[in-house]
Amino acid sequence: MMTPEAPAIITGNVLPRRTILRGLGAAIGLPFLDAMSPVMAAAAGQQKAPVRMAFFYVPNGIIMDAWNPAYEGKLAELPRALKALDPYKQDMLQIGNLTHNTGRALLDGAGDHGRCCGSYLTGVQVKKSLVEIRSSVSFDQIVAAEIGKQTRFPSLELGMDDARQAGDCDSGYSCAYTNNLAWRSETQPLPPTLDPRALFERMLGTGRPMTAEQRARQSMDRRSVLDFVAEGTHRLEAGLGPSDRRKLDEYLSSIREVERQLERSEKENTQIDPRMDKPYGVPADFAEHFKLMSTMIGIAFQADLTRVVTFLVTREGSLRPYRELGIADGHHPLTHHRNQPELMEKVRKINEYHVQQFAGFVEKMKSTKEGGGSLLDNCMIVYGAGMSDGNAHLHEDLPTVLLGRGGNAFKTGRRILARRETPMCNLFLTMMDRMGVHMDRFGDSTGRLQGLDLG
Amino acid sequence: MPQRGAEKPAAGVFFDTDFSTIDSVLAVGLLYGLQGKNDCRVAIVTVSRPNLAVVGFADAVERFYREPAGNFAQVPPVGMITTGSAGETPPAFVEPFRKKKPDGALVYRNQVRSVIDTGDPNTLIRNYLEAQYDGNAIFVLSGPATNLAAALTFPGLKEMIAAKVERLVIAGGAFPSGAPEAHIGADIPAARRVFAEWPTPIVASGYEIGAGLDFPGASIDKEFSAVPDNPVADAYRAWRTMPYDAPSWAMAASLYAVRPNEGYFKLSGPGTIHVHDDRRTSFTASDQGRHQYLVNLPEQKDRILQAYVELASAKPVPRQRFRPVDAAGKPAIPGKQ
Repeated sequence: MMTPEAPAIITGNVLPRRTILRGLGAAIGLPFLDAMSPVMAAAAGQQKAPVRMAFFYVPNGIIMDAWNPAYEGKLAELPRALKALDPYKQDMLQIGNLTHNTGRALLDGAGDHGRCCGSYLTGVQVKKSLVEIRSSVSFDQIVAAEIGKQTRFPSLELGMDDARQAGDCDSGYSCAYTNNLAWRSETQPLPPTLDPRALFERMLGTGRPMTAEQRARQSMDRRSVLDFVAEGTHRLEAGLGPSDRRKLDEYLSSIREVERQLERSEKENTQIDPRMDKPYGVPADFAEHFKLMSTMIGIAFQADLTRVVTFLVTREGSLRPYRELGIADGHHPLTHHRNQPELMEKVRKINEYHVQQFAGFVEKMKSTKEGGGSLLDNCMIVYGAGMSDGNAHLHEDLPTVLLGRGGNAFKTGRRILARRETPMCNLFLTMMDRMGVHMDRFGDSTGRLQGLDLG
Repeated sequence: MPQRGAEKPAAGVFFDTDFSTIDSVLAVGLLYGLQGKNDCRVAIVTVSRPNLAVVGFADAVERFYREPAGNFAQVPPVGMITTGSAGETPPAFVEPFRKKKPDGALVYRNQVRSVIDTGDPNTLIRNYLEAQYDGNAIFVLSGPATNLAAALTFPGLKEMIAAKVERLVIAGGAFPSGAPEAHIGADIPAARRVFAEWPTPIVASGYEIGAGLDFPGASIDKEFSAVPDNPVADAYRAWRTMPYDAPSWAMAASLYAVRPNEGYFKLSGPGTIHVHDDRRTSFTASDQGRHQYLVNLPEQKDRILQAYVELASAKPVPRQRFRPVDAAGKPAIPGKQ
């Protein structure tokens, strides 16, 4: 049953970074262990983990009085929407005044939701059409094309909301624009995976589809994927030091926890909200779904399965009600609040709720050890939106926080204000630099975003 | 004059100035007055010296005209160059911020605290030009040509200017020949570059034009009372001891730029304007030239001054919404080129 790929561990030898535990239908990559670095380097804490980046996109803008602090510089008290990130503010940059001019109408009239999501990572104004889809290669895919060969997946695209790729999702803009963040080419978006089970099997499977018999046996046994790689795991553990053993144990535990969550969700999933357009197997509970997807982002980063992730938390124009918060109205209609305090308060609650889920992910990234620091230290996790004021459809001062130090390059714990109208693409150029991909210009960039670095 | 439902909206105006004369402030009011009549749409204001006090006041003027008008967008930042000399800060740009309402509250707020609250002129020009239809933008320059010369070297912007801009009107020089002129002299290399490389027709409104058309200062107290507090009027009062009349270099250029066919001025034949090391300009007539200059028509003086007062004192009104129609008269959004 078990086909160990891991070599025998001999103290002093370097464990290959690409070591994989294989079993029936399972192929589990490993986190970055000290044993993967030359002994001397590990002892000196000099091992260099790769830099990863992820985008968490939330739709329909933010109530900005709950997002922007009234100060610059060192982060002190965070505004209401960001409160949940308070324990991690020393790892955070709150960046103000970034603009996506390509999200604006310019000469294309209504359709800010379709435009802003389509332009978010591509930096171009997408073509207003239902059939003639035209955007541009998104910057995450430029990075993935450049460094993606080093990992099992060049990139992962995740979502939670709506997989439609055709139809009118905003005033003549195709759903391809509102339902995708990543674009491989001008005409080819990369639809996000919504189903956590599918993502799990993709990440930790062999890449070959299991036969019906194998799937049935795995399911009937209700066995963990870890059981199928147990022998290899034991052999691996025997050659590891105490620190690596603890790291491995935590990593495998997180995989097991995802499995348990998946099983629990699938069991409870017999009564999915019929108004929600979700495939079977997707948790009906927003927080549960978010936790599953984001935990798997952490696993993917930890095991270096990929270094590039985009996560479309919910789509532009989302009508999702948040009954768990006592909000029965749809998110998008609420954001057209016409400055009515009662409606604005509901949107603030949704903004807070989204960030609370995100903070759970950040906590996990922060507590995961890697090299001499945390996994978060080696990441750039951007949480943001393609609009600031969703009521007025504004595309300047886009809500943007960046968590992580990009491989200890960023001086975090600060609120940075760029000059007004500074292109969002300037941030992307800076992030590309950190990912080892160098371009002179991207989208409508006018240069690198200044003031992030330690130097 | 563009009408609702027309193929294109009224032309977008890009106003670049150093605010070294009070008539530059009046020109902003005049342009918003023209916008109120749907003769143009004020796109952005950019400033060609790094003076935060001046830009802060320009920003307050922008807010005065745009915020009550209820335009469904944020007020764009005022563009400001970050190099060169800040120059003097006239009290006229500081005094209005001290003015108080009867309840003690400040009338105007300066929201420009640092360079962060301003925009990079090149980025602003590019972003707001992208929102203009081809051949439907107008530039007015009243000050050193520094910002416009820089725009010509910004990646892709010269081509965009060629496509989107109908004309540039420059308040500067003296024509057909005359004494050295301050706007030209403030940045001679930039003026040379603009006259040589700007890819659209250029009309110069020389020193003699504005010097011959003094804005009637008496109108400030008589005509600018449509709203209780007008920053343009307050700046005028603080510029010099009232009453005084002010030459109107920027106003003349702005009026012609937006209403070129109203017969306010005579236009020279085509030719080429040269910028000399001693801050003088000269004009060489040629059929292939892309430059022209304005000539004052004495009989138009009263009409022009009347237009100045009427337009600059106009109450802020909402910009008319543009709703394009197709050939059948149905609403349509024209595709981009």
